[in-house]
Amino acid sequence: MQNPNLKALNRRALLLMLVGLLLAAILFSLPLYSFQARIFTKKSANTFVGDEKYQSVRAEMEEIAESYRADGFDVDISEDVTLRTNSKGEQTSLIAFSVTQDIHRNLWSFLPSSLPSAHVLRAIALCMLLSAACALLGLRGEEETVHRYLPARSRRLRTAAGVLLLIAVLLVPVFLLMNNYFFSRRLALIGKGLISEGVEQSFRQADSFLFGGRMGEKIGDALSGLQYDPSGMLWLLIPCLLLSIVFAIQLRNGEIKSALLRGLLYFFVVVMCLAILYPYYVMLVTGFRSNAETLDINFLHMFPTEWKFENLAYIVQRGVPRYLLNSLIIAGGATLLAMLCGIPAAYAMARMSFRGKKAFLGFVIMSQMFSPVVLLIGITQLMDSLHLTNTVMSLVFVNAAFNQAFAIWLLRGTFVSISPEMEQAAMIDGCGTVSSLLRVLLPMAAPGIVTALIFVFINAWNEYTIATVLIQLQTLRPITVGITQFSSFNMIEWQYLFASSLLATIPVVILFMTIEKHLTSGLTAGGVKG
Amino acid sequence: MNTIRTKHRWEPYLWLLPSVIMLAVFVVYPIILVFRLSFSEISKSGVLGGFVGFQNYVNAVNLPAFKTVMLNTLFWVVSVVGLSTLLGFIIAMVLNQKFHGRKIARAILVFPWATSLVVQASVWNYIIKYEYGNLNNVLLNLGIIREAINWRSSYQIEFLWECGVGIFVTVPFVAFCVLSGLQSIDESLYEAATVDGAGFWSKLWNVTIPMVRPSLTVSTVLNIIYVFNSFPIVYTMTKGAPTHKTDTLVTYLYMLFFYEKQKGPATALSVIGFLILCLCAGIYMVSVMRKEEE
Repeated sequence: MQNPNLKALNRRALLLMLVGLLLAAILFSLPLYSFQARIFTKKSANTFVGDEKYQSVRAEMEEIAESYRADGFDVDISEDVTLRTNSKGEQTSLIAFSVTQDIHRNLWSFLPSSLPSAHVLRAIALCMLLSAACALLGLRGEEETVHRYLPARSRRLRTAAGVLLLIAVLLVPVFLLMNNYFFSRRLALIGKGLISEGVEQSFRQADSFLFGGRMGEKIGDALSGLQYDPSGMLWLLIPCLLLSIVFAIQLRNGEIKSALLRGLLYFFVVVMCLAILYPYYVMLVTGFRSNAETLDINFLHMFPTEWKFENLAYIVQRGVPRYLLNSLIIAGGATLLAMLCGIPAAYAMARMSFRGKKAFLGFVIMSQMFSPVVLLIGITQLMDSLHLTNTVMSLVFVNAAFNQAFAIWLLRGTFVSISPEMEQAAMIDGCGTVSSLLRVLLPMAAPGIVTALIFVFINAWNEYTIATVLIQLQTLRPITVGITQFSSFNMIEWQYLFASSLLATIPVVILFMTIEKHLTSGLTAGGVKG
Repeated sequence: MNTIRTKHRWEPYLWLLPSVIMLAVFVVYPIILVFRLSFSEISKSGVLGGFVGFQNYVNAVNLPAFKTVMLNTLFWVVSVVGLSTLLGFIIAMVLNQKFHGRKIARAILVFPWATSLVVQASVWNYIIKYEYGNLNNVLLNLGIIREAINWRSSYQIEFLWECGVGIFVTVPFVAFCVLSGLQSIDESLYEAATVDGAGFWSKLWNVTIPMVRPSLTVSTVLNIIYVFNSFPIVYTMTKGAPTHKTDTLVTYLYMLFFYEKQKGPATALSVIGFLILCLCAGIYMVSVMRKEEE
């Protein structure tokens, strides 16, 4: 198995890896911090540029700056002039002098620092270099084919290169996490005095790294002049990270293009899943927070500091079990009714021939088009005249009627796909139409029926609009309407809203996941198969 | 022979009867009611007056917010249906590949579909709050932004967010429809195309898209209906504020009828919405019936 292209392929892989390292190097050199730190500030009132007082303060500042310069800092003096009118109507001015230092830093300048995260960064760089070295040494073999046909030494080196690169890649998030906390949010908050406990250590480290231990409390001021968010820039490392993973795979074995496509595929899927799960994460963490934490912009945690399970007890008190029960009755009743009317109709549509079959099919499809919302006004009038407003039955009827079309459609698709031979045999044996339906067809069509059942149930459970209009009595509300009692115009109790939303969502999501397998086949069956 | 012989000619109709009664009472009768109301005079308390011809329609069209609301509805339907069809198609293509964790990904994709719209809308309403919203919170924690961003600085942007949430909840439906189409494609078609030297794009255009077109039609038309009728997102997130500038037709007519007591124009709008739906339904029927004949 000798492949002449393989040498070229290996060379390309190596080249790509070097390009990756180069990219990482460029990224390391990008400006990360760029801001003017005000080391020392003095304000002088009733001063005009150039007058006596100005001169003396200026001289004083020069002296201070000089002392910093002696310590090796490259500092400047800046002046902010504010003109204003005093109470007597005279023009005065206020001058703020500051000793400033322009600070530009990139990832390279993290390397020699004494922060814990700098060790991680060093480890990453070391792993990358070692990996490159191993890869170089490992490629000195002859033109080989797949990984396992390589000479043992070369194979070991290439594996080592891949593993080292992977370690480097895995350390990147560690570095990101450590840094985030140190440099952006936390520092800014310490500076503003918003968090105080147990931070002295990290504060001193940061202080000594950035300002040689001279900054003291001024650090908050300095960070407010920040132009880039340091750790925000670090997120640019992620593309590099992905590239490195691909190179690691490539170094081990395999082709670059397919590895790249696979990587993209997984990336897409992971991003999609995270995006979909995000609102549920929000629901979960917010539902168990205290009220203060829900409304706090400076809340610095991804999860509640204390899981407030009292929220559940509270919403139970506010009648949520009652709403859940109402929803269960409404959705259950609607499902039952829709099935009771739908199964015979679907059976007739699938198994019997009669005049007007096509017209009825058209009518069913048409009725699926009409949502109850547009007909809201008509439905309220109808319920008024039937004296059904403020009853659970009204919602049972409306939900059953508007899901009828879908149920018939889905069931008919299922029935048609089942061969009628068994029923015909049963009928020859003396079974009536009804008993052949009940004893023969329904058991065979069980998966389809369960799908239709759950589908109608979920639609009825999630219905909101009609319920808001038809039910005014609080004790009869379904859960979708019930949760809105936690949000009034002036105050929304988010934690209770989400705790009860969670209760309303979990059973339905679980139900839906059980029919997920049938969705792809059943969903468009009615429409596509006619 | 796919049918079963019945003893009497009227027997099939007996089987259909319960369903027909239910549809007649709770679907057809409200339609008639709405039509009748839209041509009559209705007082603020809802008492029916005499026949007024097209007066209600004239009043509805002359409402100051009518044009905005219609344009909003158009934008809402086109953007949500268009983008979610595109996105759903891409997701379906991806999920049709074989990879580890495909089952989990598909189970997760079901989530937004299974969740009540009012719950989704409330969550997103919280997420994009300026003062304490979770999006700002997460972005600040990750260090991507330094200061909280006002995600809803104007009503246009709020409307865009509503469209975004609409897309978010619609995508799974499209994805599953397209997926069902994709899974019915015979692998040999692709093999034949590969032998003919077709690349990825040419396979997409000449094999995939023609084969999933039926599923795409079904999902698009159903989506137009669902999205047109979608009420809770707009109602929960902005309630149409300010002054109906973010309303769509359904929320607007709801507000008119139940809050502003303009019952005449509201019923007229209801009929207009109904007729638009009928048009969509008609197009859909034609496409379904044509398939039936094939």
